[in-house]
Amino acid sequence: MQNRKNRQKSKRIFLIPLFITIAVFFSLTISLPGQENFPDPEGKTGTPTYGDAFVVGEIGDARTLIPILASDSPSSYIVDLVFDGLIKYNTSVELVGNLAESWDIEEDSLVIVFHLRKNVKWHDGYPFRAKDVKFTYECLIDPKVPTPYSGDFKMVKSVEVADDYTVKIIYKEPFAPGLTSWGMPIMPKHLLEGENLLTTEFARNPIGTGRYKFKRWKTGERIDLVSNHEYFEHRPYIDRYIYRVIPDSATMFLELETLGIDSMGLTPLQFTRLTETPFFKKRFQKFKYPSFGYTYMAYNLKDDKFKDKRVRQALNYAVDKKEIIDGVLLGQGKVSHGQFVPESWAFNKDVKPYPFDPKKAKKILEECGWRDRDNDGWLDKDGRRFEFTILTNQGNDNRRMTAEIIQRRLKDIGIKVNIRILEWSVFLNEFVNKKKFEAIILGWGLGREPDCYDIFHSSKTKEGEFNFISYANPRIDRLLIEGRRTFDLEKRKEIYNKIHEILYDDQPYMFLYVPDSLVAVHNRFQGIKVSPIGITYNFIDWWVPRDRQRYTY
Amino acid sequence: MMKQIFRNNQAVFGAGIILLLILVAVFAPKIAKYDPAFINIQSALLGPSLEHPLGTDSLGRDLFSRMIYASRIALLIGFIAMGLALGVGVIFGSLAGYFGGKTDSIIMRFADIMLCFPRFFLILAVIAVVGPNIFNVMVIIGLTGWMGMARLIRAEILSLKTRDYVSASRALGASHFFIITKHLIPNGIGPVLVSFVFGVAGAILTEAALSFLGLGVQPPNPSWGNILMEGKAVLGVGWWVIIFPGLAILITVLAFNLLGEGLRDALNPRVER
Repeated sequence: MQNRKNRQKSKRIFLIPLFITIAVFFSLTISLPGQENFPDPEGKTGTPTYGDAFVVGEIGDARTLIPILASDSPSSYIVDLVFDGLIKYNTSVELVGNLAESWDIEEDSLVIVFHLRKNVKWHDGYPFRAKDVKFTYECLIDPKVPTPYSGDFKMVKSVEVADDYTVKIIYKEPFAPGLTSWGMPIMPKHLLEGENLLTTEFARNPIGTGRYKFKRWKTGERIDLVSNHEYFEHRPYIDRYIYRVIPDSATMFLELETLGIDSMGLTPLQFTRLTETPFFKKRFQKFKYPSFGYTYMAYNLKDDKFKDKRVRQALNYAVDKKEIIDGVLLGQGKVSHGQFVPESWAFNKDVKPYPFDPKKAKKILEECGWRDRDNDGWLDKDGRRFEFTILTNQGNDNRRMTAEIIQRRLKDIGIKVNIRILEWSVFLNEFVNKKKFEAIILGWGLGREPDCYDIFHSSKTKEGEFNFISYANPRIDRLLIEGRRTFDLEKRKEIYNKIHEILYDDQPYMFLYVPDSLVAVHNRFQGIKVSPIGITYNFIDWWVPRDRQRYTY
Repeated sequence: MMKQIFRNNQAVFGAGIILLLILVAVFAPKIAKYDPAFINIQSALLGPSLEHPLGTDSLGRDLFSRMIYASRIALLIGFIAMGLALGVGVIFGSLAGYFGGKTDSIIMRFADIMLCFPRFFLILAVIAVVGPNIFNVMVIIGLTGWMGMARLIRAEILSLKTRDYVSASRALGASHFFIITKHLIPNGIGPVLVSFVFGVAGAILTEAALSFLGLGVQPPNPSWGNILMEGKAVLGVGWWVIIFPGLAILITVLAFNLLGEGLRDALNPRVER
């Protein structure tokens, strides 16, 4: 079983998988430890002290701080610090209580009873109660609320408040991702009741129960959080968390070197070459671990060109993924074989990636009727040239370079590709969500829970939902539902292996690569422990020795 | 006049470089050894060598070839955008200057309004709406750059139209069109040409800035601006990717500015020679 927090991440669109780092920071599931770590020679041991600030650099700004609407990674980093779910993962990837102290599963998995912590307060001092859980659930299933996470909660028959500290969740039918889904951050009823979630002030001024309290947000510039002294586990040692928006990774790296920021996700070039200096090694620790996500090129399946599965397969033959990994990731990643990453239990080892074979690609395209009839060097069919535009977001050199390599390789087989690079929020709001694209390059951050109903089920194609490619395959629909109803791990494995296989054969995306997470953190921070769920799960235990603190408040 | 230009060393130097650039642009396929869009990951980020005189970029493309092809785009955008601006500016300016009165007020107030917009941001906004490509960039730079020229030609025509030969021509029954195109524009075009040359330099810079922001020339077409943008990402590892396009922009813009200044001096009767 998986933590909801991670699961929910599973559907977050990653701004920059390579700069995922910070996502990694906040409970994004990551497997195994960093091979590269330069421990601080001084003071690894000692008593933790309070104080200092952690300044992190990121490419994009948050869009909303309403937890159930936050579907992009920048928003979720902040949401995960300010809010808590009922449960979370521990470092051995097991579910443990968070806002819930414990839970019982009754009546053949149809009922989950959560026993909530009693000493939890919202940041405004109001006590946290069971009615907040029920309220959050009601928002999630409200048809007027455009949340991408509603899918998991539609299976709930009712949420009953037994007393202030006991919530009973009753499912309509057995639902395997059910427990995990309660990693969803809980929202305060007393502040949001009757508010329109789309217009409320709360989106820019959130009150949660989490480790850090929201302080201020300067749009496009920075978000400041301060530590929650009353946090139920313990007061975080680092007093401030500052999220700085720096929309360019080269600039961000300069900021890191001049200590304008303390941490950032590194590009492969920065990781392999620019950080291999004595200057850098003396001041920073570097971490590298396989990420739980992948980068892909998605086709708009409403577009006639891409409706034929054979065409999509041909395109997959025509692009050399190895070339992208060597050239763009400088080897810091793996080929993506489909929806699940190699570290996931749902990963099907028998699915082999297509070899790079442009001749075969050309042959398949010819069978589909794409031929160069007018001898202009480009394939055509019914008088129309095979031409399309790849959209991707600005600030991510890896995606731009990937697009250029795809453009080049497809040119070799006679397909004209244009590239358009757009600002992140314009890209998401105006093009991806409104399905105004032919192809896009984007990434998913995945969770441990392999359920990908929201991404591939044919019912999830409304604006703002995650099946923006309009993928519809009755077999996948059936398997996705079956996977959610099955609790037996072996049987589930079979189902997801099958899903993996069908999806790879269908090629709704051109699956490109699974990047490694590459992170740099200033070495004054102590207590960082790499685990299968990343490095920031224990952010409240990080600390800085008094004599090395840089900021005082 | 030509003699005066030739006497001006700066102008000759500028013109020489521009001529050289034009030749390079015209014969780009002959000069460049490689296809500018040819990707070879194995040879990514190689420093300058005999094989690759200016090194390679992060996708292993030959920088020299890309720079050569980029010169085509720079000159094309410079001349066509400013050609457009010149056309619009001369038409509006001469109409305003010749007819005066209401026509003048309407046209010149429109020009004033256009001048009120911060030009670069106007261009950014329009590009964001219509989508970036070479054609759009040229048209937008052209359509936002005519106001200065219109003002210049209007001022010239205001003084020229009171001359005796214009009155004579009118007395002989010449049409407005004839007077404007045969008498006024040819005599008043001098300062506008100077402005045109400066304008080309400005347009090249604007294109580079737009491409640097990812809103100009789109990949795989090379432009000095977008090579510069790529260079920024590899700064510290591949200095050549950022230095050479930067130099190219500098030299080109300098050349146009030198030529422009030479022209201005040559055309200005008040300057001591």
